[in-house]
Amino acid sequence: MSEGFIVSGHDPRFERTLYAHVGRPDAHTLDYYLGHGGYEAARKALASMTPDEVIEEVKRSGLRGRGGAGFPTGLKWSFMPKDDGQQHYIIMNADESEPGSFKDRYILEDDPHQAIEGMILAGYAIRATKGYIYIRGEYRRAYDRLVAAIEEAYARGYLGKNLFGSGFDFDLYVHRGAGAYICGEETALMNSLEGLRANPRLKPPFPAQKGLFGKPTTINNVETIASVVHIVARGSDWFAQMGYDKSKGMKLYQVSGPAVRPGVYELPMGTTFRELIYDWAGGVREPIKALIPGGSSTPMLPFNDDTLDTPMDYEHLAEKGSMLGTGGVILIPERACVVDVIWNLVRFYGHESCGKCTPCREGVAGWLVKLLGQIERGRGKPGDLELIEDLLDNIEGKSFCPLADAAVWPVRGALRHFRHEFERHIEEGRCPLEKKGFWG
Amino acid sequence: MGFFDDKQDWLEIVFRNYPPENRRAAVMPLLRKVQQEEGHVSPERIREIAEILGTTATEVRGVMSFYSYYQAVPTGKYHLQVCATLSCKLAGAEELWDTLRAELGVGPGEVTPDGLFSIQKVECLGSCHTAPVVQVNDEPYLECMNRERLRALLEGLRAGKPLEEIELPGDCGHEVRKEGA
Ligand SMILES: Cc1cc2nc3c(=O)[nH]c(=O)nc-3n(C[C@H](O)[C@H](O)[C@H](O)COP(=O)(O)O)c2cc1C
Ligand code: SF4
Ligand code: FES
Repeated sequence: MSEGFIVSGHDPRFERTLYAHVGRPDAHTLDYYLGHGGYEAARKALASMTPDEVIEEVKRSGLRGRGGAGFPTGLKWSFMPKDDGQQHYIIMNADESEPGSFKDRYILEDDPHQAIEGMILAGYAIRATKGYIYIRGEYRRAYDRLVAAIEEAYARGYLGKNLFGSGFDFDLYVHRGAGAYICGEETALMNSLEGLRANPRLKPPFPAQKGLFGKPTTINNVETIASVVHIVARGSDWFAQMGYDKSKGMKLYQVSGPAVRPGVYELPMGTTFRELIYDWAGGVREPIKALIPGGSSTPMLPFNDDTLDTPMDYEHLAEKGSMLGTGGVILIPERACVVDVIWNLVRFYGHESCGKCTPCREGVAGWLVKLLGQIERGRGKPGDLELIEDLLDNIEGKSFCPLADAAVWPVRGALRHFRHEFERHIEEGRCPLEKKGFWG
Repeated sequence: MGFFDDKQDWLEIVFRNYPPENRRAAVMPLLRKVQQEEGHVSPERIREIAEILGTTATEVRGVMSFYSYYQAVPTGKYHLQVCATLSCKLAGAEELWDTLRAELGVGPGEVTPDGLFSIQKVECLGSCHTAPVVQVNDEPYLECMNRERLRALLEGLRAGKPLEEIELPGDCGHEVRKEGA
């Protein structure tokens, strides 16, 4: 346990950083943050590292984006132009709207200075003197705490002009969403921030060339940017010691559904589902039949030993035909109907389709919602599943942005592992499961 | 009188968040302000916002209709938003919604005769571990809702208590973790 890579929260070398202060009273204040080593990483970087050295350190750490896609963060940063004389922007994506995900919320609520410090570091690295935090509109407490923290930081010189005497200026703004899942997609987010309808933009040009307000822009998830604080403070070797081959560092996993202690758990990348669910979340409160591993767009897996012993990282989950996504694990109880579950999710993606492209507007919001709705209501016909699979083939990879794929994947996972439930629905013309009251 | 006439200082602060040549970026905060204070955004307010931003009412309406938070028709003093997505559904969001509808006698888009309540289904609020979740206006979430907690909420609101002073009985019935454990 004490040699090799750290892939368990029980490893004595593992220490929590991202969530070390979450849940503690006053952790959101500047005084608390400063009393716990706050802004030391930013001070160190601005005093003793060049922007490129920060990028190199992040590259060496192996950090990959925590917003769902897992793109290498240092590499993304290196795409930003240098000495081009233009305004650059760094954006923190705090839209957190993928069902099953709620990890970014508590960083912003309970440790907003960690987010601010990460933004200073990211801004410095990509030569952005202005940053935006795009926060979903419903996160009221997080918004209040964030705004208060930014005011405190300005008042005491941690934001604004000439930070730490380095000559680097950094201004930070907060923009609130208003309830639209698509705003989490990076180019839609930029349109939303510019006051336009939040349809995704055509790429290229990529944000690093032409992003927010037409200027070079980098956008990262909250957890990604917060991780940089600890990479700079403790070094890339420390970070890369956690996790497997291409999945490094600590990760915020979330558990919802009938666990004994649902919530957010910071663990080394590569921790197994079994450890997360049984050791940290205390086990389950009722029989479980499936789990959704990383937010609602990731294909579900059957709840069995093989799944439970799977390390939760990019590669191991890909081997199982699923994805790490946001790390939001949703437990599906035995008494729930998989058809009902999938219908709820497809309906969600259909509702959130922005309507810009045909495969998504007609395929997801139109046909997929209609066909699955019919099966769910007991009006499915023989051949419907084949029709759905044909439809999925015609949507996947053919839409303008990945939202449509996000609707396809959960259906594929469910058909792969729980096809019999769909077939019974169609054969019996009703839901074979008695809908028991879930409502206490 | 215009809604923003006496809010010039507030407007100036909002505009400072965006480059001066991109005034229309402020459309969302302006819409939010009207929604917060008037419970909906009327065509008159849309025109006013368009004028302030130097754009057209059609453009503002286009942005507004993109989001679920802004309402074109009046809402109650307390606009109850019930999360209907997966985790909340599995924890009873449908029963919660049905109870609310029956209790208040309104459907989406309607307001109770006393002007107090309106209801809306919304999508995942990012609090799936404390499902089912309800949000009143744009206040912090009400989590782990059940019959008793819903009853206490409605009673408190009817009695005119501020939301933060309403005590919801009991708790989630399970531990909730958000610390590093
Ligand atoms: C439909 C859709 C919704 C998304 N929602 C979010 C979100 O809420 N938060 C987030 O960080 N990334 C979200 N993403 C991913 C972003 O587009 C982007 O890849 C990410 O913010 C990049 O940050 P990262 O590299 O740090 O992960 C979404 C993507 C899509 C296609
Ligand atoms: S895939 Fe869906 S959300 Fe994405 S651009 Fe097309 S219609 Fe819009
Ligand atoms: S499903 Fe309701 S908060 Fe996530």
